[in-house]
Amino acid sequence: MIITSSRVRILGTMHARGAAFVLMTVFALTACGPSEPEISGAPPDMRRLTDAQYVNSITDIFGPQIKAESQADPLIRTDGLLAVGARSARITPAGFERYYAQARTVAKRVVSAKNRASMFPCMPKDVAAADDTCARQYFTKVGRLLYRRPLTLSEVGTPADAASEATKVSGDFYRGIAVGLAGMLTTSKFLFIIDTTEPDPGRPGQERLTSFAKASRLSFLLWNTTPDEALLTAAEKGDLDSKEGLKRQVDRLMASHRLDTGVRAFFEDFLHFDQFDTLEKDNIIYPAFTIQVAEDAREQVLRTIIDHLILREQDYRALFTTRQTFITGGLARVYRVPTKRPAEGAWIPFEFPEDDPRAGILTQVGFAALASHPGRSSPTLRGKAVRESILCQKVPDPPSDVDFSLFEDPNSPNKTARERLTVHRTAPACAGCHKITDPIGLALENLDGVGQLRTTENGAVIDASGDLDGIPFTDAAGLGRAVSANPATTSCVTQRLASYALGRSAGPAEREYVKYLEQGFADDGYSIPALLRRIAYSDALFEILAPLVENVTRQLKTDDYTTQEHIREKQS
Amino acid sequence: MQPLETRLQFRSSLILLLTCVAGLSMITPAAAAETTTLGFVVRDWFTSVFNSKFLDECPEGLVIANDELWWRGLSKEERAKQTENGLIQNLARQFSTPRRGPNGEHVCHDPTVVTDPPLRIVEGKYSFGANIDGNIDGSPTPKTCSHVNFTNPDDETPGIDNQMYRLLGCVYGWRHGGLPEANAHEMRGTSGLGMILIEVSGVTDPRNSDDVTVTFYRSIDQFALAGDGRPLPYSSYNIEMKDGKPRYRDSLKGSIKDGVLTTERGDVSLPFYGNYNFMHPAIRDMDLRLEITDDGATADGMVTGYYNVDEFVYYIGGMTGHVSGGTNCPSMYVAAHQLADGYPDPETGQCTHLSSAFDIGAYAAFIIHPDKEERTAQR
Repeated sequence: MIITSSRVRILGTMHARGAAFVLMTVFALTACGPSEPEISGAPPDMRRLTDAQYVNSITDIFGPQIKAESQADPLIRTDGLLAVGARSARITPAGFERYYAQARTVAKRVVSAKNRASMFPCMPKDVAAADDTCARQYFTKVGRLLYRRPLTLSEVGTPADAASEATKVSGDFYRGIAVGLAGMLTTSKFLFIIDTTEPDPGRPGQERLTSFAKASRLSFLLWNTTPDEALLTAAEKGDLDSKEGLKRQVDRLMASHRLDTGVRAFFEDFLHFDQFDTLEKDNIIYPAFTIQVAEDAREQVLRTIIDHLILREQDYRALFTTRQTFITGGLARVYRVPTKRPAEGAWIPFEFPEDDPRAGILTQVGFAALASHPGRSSPTLRGKAVRESILCQKVPDPPSDVDFSLFEDPNSPNKTARERLTVHRTAPACAGCHKITDPIGLALENLDGVGQLRTTENGAVIDASGDLDGIPFTDAAGLGRAVSANPATTSCVTQRLASYALGRSAGPAEREYVKYLEQGFADDGYSIPALLRRIAYSDALFEILAPLVENVTRQLKTDDYTTQEHIREKQS
Repeated sequence: MQPLETRLQFRSSLILLLTCVAGLSMITPAAAAETTTLGFVVRDWFTSVFNSKFLDECPEGLVIANDELWWRGLSKEERAKQTENGLIQNLARQFSTPRRGPNGEHVCHDPTVVTDPPLRIVEGKYSFGANIDGNIDGSPTPKTCSHVNFTNPDDETPGIDNQMYRLLGCVYGWRHGGLPEANAHEMRGTSGLGMILIEVSGVTDPRNSDDVTVTFYRSIDQFALAGDGRPLPYSSYNIEMKDGKPRYRDSLKGSIKDGVLTTERGDVSLPFYGNYNFMHPAIRDMDLRLEITDDGATADGMVTGYYNVDEFVYYIGGMTGHVSGGTNCPSMYVAAHQLADGYPDPETGQCTHLSSAFDIGAYAAFIIHPDKEERTAQR
């Protein structure tokens, strides 16, 4: 089975509760600056959950005692983001097998004797026999969380029937429930975030996102997880269709500590931190760089980002110059700085001295190690990473017939990477790209392949000077200042965050919208929370391009909603 | 947010992390920048033993160990009974064979309860170590007893005082690869016990400093190990404190020349752990020589000085592995006292200490003083 999230139309029917309203609230945010330009939107879409979203969703739906793992088929990074690649993700047969195995494990834990009391809204009359009423109650409750919307009666019937059949075979009500639940966990309705639509009462002839689809967009953007009960309830009430209601929910989500999770997810994607999963270093050359240190290095950058951008709400540009960070005992060995006796795994606030060449996240072990080879640093990889990830500037792929012999010759008289690259650049085919990557990467040559400070290479003093688009520097900290001052730095993160939120590349059609965000970002002192809030408030986040389709049997009808009240009504 | 007040524990070829030194809160930044502090954690501590290729230094062979003496003392009937037709296990003997006193006393706990053949001691010319007493003929001085000196095998330097080697050089367990030394080394590596920290303060240049102070502490932290089991340089180690002060903190004056640290002599108490013994030997007239590598990550060297005989007897009495180690407590007890060459007892004139030498290996470390305020590390 292959499920592909190509552009499909999924029609929802949540009749707009309070649908005919007129936009009455004017945000102070937009009142003070340029107004949001209109965008045409894109056709409704579906995006596969990332591994983190899958795990977060399971945890939030079933509780922290239900541990899950996800090893989905890899996403293809598209226009710099895996989040954009998620819209063209597929589930291969092998990937589905992993999903199914994980679903069975989760379902088994959910119905275990230890957990079932807190999970189920009812008790079966006889645990050895099927209880369709209780099963339907359960699947109605859990299905709303899994599918991020209420279920139709038929959607409840499918797992309930499966549970009933399985109970007859196993003689165990809960084992039957586990079968039904595992089925729900492997449907596209759970594994994909689906843009359900409904007729737009404000624009006759057009569709719009349902409140539940909006809830999912908000929740995955800000918390990187499934909508919580309050957000689903707001969607049910139609609150998200009004500016005021939307603002209330955005403000609530933004005020939560769980915003950290959402911001982390974006920056993990933005900085290509998925590469940590396959990061390898030669432990003979770098004995201090253990598996734990690799994990700490990744966490350090993210922790610095959250502290700097969210907790202290500092200027995004200063992320490349800040000397404040956090370290563990393992990282302290790599940085060669002292630490007081930390508890195992404890993080300690740390500030690099003013005269230290290390400042900003580009000089942290996480970045330095990731953009390096297993046994040595790589000015080219580092320069490419800064150009592509931080500045959103495409570096062309190298030609297929590159001659590395001059660069990698162990007997070369050229001791430093700068000297070797100078020779390498004599090849005309190489010169063009290296001209844009190497000055950046060479500025980081005082950091070896795992980010340890050094002043010499093969006995020769390292020259870390250079310039970035006309701004000169003499060391890694200077590069950070140059990156910080580069206009592309702020426009890049704005463009990527917009794409991340929209779930698609913010292209020419969104050019004005991105400009609007960039201006707002500048007006707000380059505050990432303010930028996130501006995006979450914006109409563009929910805009879709979907003409009304007549004579279509919609997947969901209001009358079919399986709210608890509805179930009770049916039963009575 | 401030990093920690520390002792600087390492140097690299050009970059040096400096730290503030304890009690220098009134020093101006400019003054503080004039000196740095180096730190090391000691990983290797082995009795310095010169092993010739053909055991020339032990013409009678290795020491007749406790196990053999026990065996010799058994009747045929007892041998048959004890050995279960020749198949007695090594482990079982560990606990039974030292109990060969007249009334079953443990001869390592009570080494005078039996009289064993004299210990086979080193009779060779060469030994590592140092000329501790200052003379080359081994004649007595007010602080020493008459003894025979060695010559350094590397450079033929005469006057080497190392009676500890003379005592242990023919005991299998102290020769290269011998079990007691290897076992003690292994236990220190994984237990976090007996951890010695060396702090070198007042360093103006990590390769050449005329006047430095070397202070010895005990760490309460275990080694941070790499995947191959070796300690990772530049780890942080907290000093053991007692009543608000470092429990160990003896200091020696010294200097660094071309990356080699040497100290004057003085009395130093050190922590020690090995073979299930917790000890705190006070080494008298101790000095340290440490060759620091160019990158400052590691250092190798030697400690010499006078080691208390009673401390040594306590160690061999309390250790296990007498069978595997080839030791014999009663004869070692007698020989240790006979060979003692330092610090004569004022009443008896009998010397109480053995001149000794220990090979050490150390790794660059950050030494954390829990009693000091946090300060910003400086480069």
